[in-house]
Amino acid sequence: MTRASDYPPPFSPREFVAEPTDPADERIEVGVLIVGAGPAGLACAIRLGQLLEEHPDVAERLGEVPVAVVEKGKQPGSHLLSGAVVNPRALRRLGLRVEDMPSYGPVHDEAVYVLTRRNALRIPPPPTMRNHGNWIFSLSQLGRWLAERAEEGGAMLLPETAAEKLLVSHGRVVGVRTGDKGLNREGQPMGNAEPGSDLVAKVTVLAEGTQGHLTGVALDTFGLRGEEPQVWELGVKEVWKVPRAPRGVIHTMGWPLRTRARYREFGGSFIYGMGDDLLTIGMVVGLDYRDVELSAHDVLQELKTHPKIAKLLRGGERVQWGAKTIPSGGWYSLPKRLYAPGLLLCGDGVGMVNIPRLKGVHYAIESGRLAAESAFASLQRGATPATSLASYDDAVRSSFINDDLYEVRDMRQVFGRGFFVGGALASAMTVSKGRLDLGKMRAEPDAEQPLVRSGRGARYPTPDGKLTFDKLSSVFASGNKTRDDQPNHIRVERRVPKDVAELWVNLCPAQVYEIGTEGGDGTVTVNLAPSNCVQCGAITAKGGRLTPPEGGSGPEYTLT
Amino acid sequence: MSILVFVEHHGSELQKGSLGVLTKAASLGDPDVAAVLVGGGVKALAPEAAKYGASKVFVVEDDALEPPLPQPRVDALAKVIEDNGYETVLIANSVLAADVAAGLAARIDAGLNWDLVDITSDLVGKRPALQDSVFLEVGWKSTPRIALFRAGSFDASTHDTGQAQIVDVTVDYAEHSQRATVVGQELEESSGPSIEDADIIVAGGRGLGAPESFSLAEELARTLGGAVGATRAVVDAGWYPYSAQIGQTGKVVSPKLYVALGISGAIQHKVGMQTSNVIVSINKDANAPIFEFSDLGVVGDVHEIVPKLTELIKQRKS
Repeated sequence: MTRASDYPPPFSPREFVAEPTDPADERIEVGVLIVGAGPAGLACAIRLGQLLEEHPDVAERLGEVPVAVVEKGKQPGSHLLSGAVVNPRALRRLGLRVEDMPSYGPVHDEAVYVLTRRNALRIPPPPTMRNHGNWIFSLSQLGRWLAERAEEGGAMLLPETAAEKLLVSHGRVVGVRTGDKGLNREGQPMGNAEPGSDLVAKVTVLAEGTQGHLTGVALDTFGLRGEEPQVWELGVKEVWKVPRAPRGVIHTMGWPLRTRARYREFGGSFIYGMGDDLLTIGMVVGLDYRDVELSAHDVLQELKTHPKIAKLLRGGERVQWGAKTIPSGGWYSLPKRLYAPGLLLCGDGVGMVNIPRLKGVHYAIESGRLAAESAFASLQRGATPATSLASYDDAVRSSFINDDLYEVRDMRQVFGRGFFVGGALASAMTVSKGRLDLGKMRAEPDAEQPLVRSGRGARYPTPDGKLTFDKLSSVFASGNKTRDDQPNHIRVERRVPKDVAELWVNLCPAQVYEIGTEGGDGTVTVNLAPSNCVQCGAITAKGGRLTPPEGGSGPEYTLT
Repeated sequence: MSILVFVEHHGSELQKGSLGVLTKAASLGDPDVAAVLVGGGVKALAPEAAKYGASKVFVVEDDALEPPLPQPRVDALAKVIEDNGYETVLIANSVLAADVAAGLAARIDAGLNWDLVDITSDLVGKRPALQDSVFLEVGWKSTPRIALFRAGSFDASTHDTGQAQIVDVTVDYAEHSQRATVVGQELEESSGPSIEDADIIVAGGRGLGAPESFSLAEELARTLGGAVGATRAVVDAGWYPYSAQIGQTGKVVSPKLYVALGISGAIQHKVGMQTSNVIVSINKDANAPIFEFSDLGVVGDVHEIVPKLTELIKQRKS
């Protein structure tokens, strides 16, 4: 059996850990350095702003830049993509009014359908999928709004800046080194080259989101990986302009995924209106699948051909497209500890996602807020930083984040037994509030799944450019206009068995991988078009490793 | 209202793009349209500039200014504008001009609209947006106004009044404007026109099959007097240099004739060439998207068709 994990990428976490190298007077010194302007990082920045305003003496000691947020996207929100039906609880705890945010209002109606090729059977929403009281957002828009609040609170935002290396000195994280800019394909400086710099901080908060580059490096460097490996799902979504948007939130299960257990196709779709004339449609597929021809992008295209769904899109036009992975290991896959000396870890980067409930944004926000509290405590006069940072771990473990994830700890794994059995067990677990203990079920890393062929690809529709789209035009619709002549940021083994190469070609929603020449021994070369990459992270789950490209690269989401 | 156009030159030649903008300025119905030339030996070029409709040509003659540095040009333009009260400044985009426009906007506190492709006589500019899928109408809320036009937006045509006044201007340069110096300039060797300036472009895509086949595109381009362009896929594959890449992440061109050889027409390529006047494409895949926006599409093998086409054009020309 071929497995992608047998062909590991040329990557070592050690490459991305360094001592500060800039001369002391050229380092940029900040108080708290937050990596990632997403819900977790911005919540952290906002809360720190509030605390520092109440304690000007602490702010004073932190120097000119008490709080900085680095963001690899063109602007805050550029790389944010989510469902996003958000539980507003954590936003309120941050002292923000949901009513003031750019949203599409609270959820009033919801429906869950089990699809077959032609029909749709409406079922009562399982307890985990009830959204009453939750609000509909575009996470990209919410991110931009939160970034404005963070800036008002005094945080310095540094967009188009990739955090490339973790600065570690004497076993303690002391900041990050940002990525070089203006290098050519061979890594040589061009006319406008600009080397990265050392951003030195008293506390570094990694809030990088799913497949966070430095989060991965930190988990390995400090030995923090959890009991079970992390696993992921891949979400691909489109925003459509339609004559009339549906009211409420629709979830579908079943077709076009194949529900028999041996296919291991776990996932579903979400559809909802954003205001009067925008509609979001997305498909999520577990990356523990095995068929080399499975392509989440093409499954989404297939979904749109269902008569019931095509009807919702009739007369409409696709305006945006995007993709992102979702950590789905849940409670068992959380790191052993959420801190290391000088370092705190938040949000999706460490897997704070409740897959059965399809929720994670409010955990990210809450963890960011708690990280801010602990970071602030460590900065107070007379504090013992190590103890203060460790208090973050306790705070998360006694928060609703831990309670919620514990309740559904086994739910993801049971779906490996096939959709219908899994669905029934999942409901039982929720109803029993997690008291039904099935014993822990092992998760295998997504890349270790043996690869099979079962003719998946034959079912995908041929893109017509109106209802269904190819990958390349979808990359365009993500707003991605990454500079082509920069160094490759994707690490994969470049000569692999054809099955592995084909897995990557189909896996990637952005057409980054291409099969090159045959080696004559069953292997092929893998060619890359890295500038297509929308940094979804799927390759890291399935046997490669994504590192950050030049800051400002990648998609430019605005509505996702 | 009065209009000033920054006319760029390279050596003893005025830039076609600048002259296009000057032609456009002269057509807007304003009698006071002036050109400004900055550099060494530009006085000799002034009468030539005048032929494109300028009623006045300001000349800042200074050999020290021949290197293409933006800051001294900002000083020169600011001086001309201040002394003569010009309210509108039109500039054709180039690497140098973009810097000059940005610096000038900051210096004289002017509003700058960039990447325009047209402008009306009541000074409403037209700017493509959202990857050129829509046009925005943009204006200015105050004077002075600066407009920067996309390359190739206007054709240059002479409109010689024979009465243009040539005015010498002396400029006091700011201290900071003289700090940057040019250490050296190197020209990339190329035969034929650059793709930004070319009226005819022959572009090759992956359908050419192999890097060697680019000679087909080169030969046809030479015969037509045009330049050679390439798609991202072939530049990525190392078949052709990045400087020839046309598309979203390469150059945006709008020649009079665009010949696409073996190009499928992905939207990333389309947005770099869709404003070309006439698009001719040859591709063996009848379903290639490029045929949807070609004026003339030929379904066939480039390797068979192009050599014959080149031969026919040669015969016709001789």
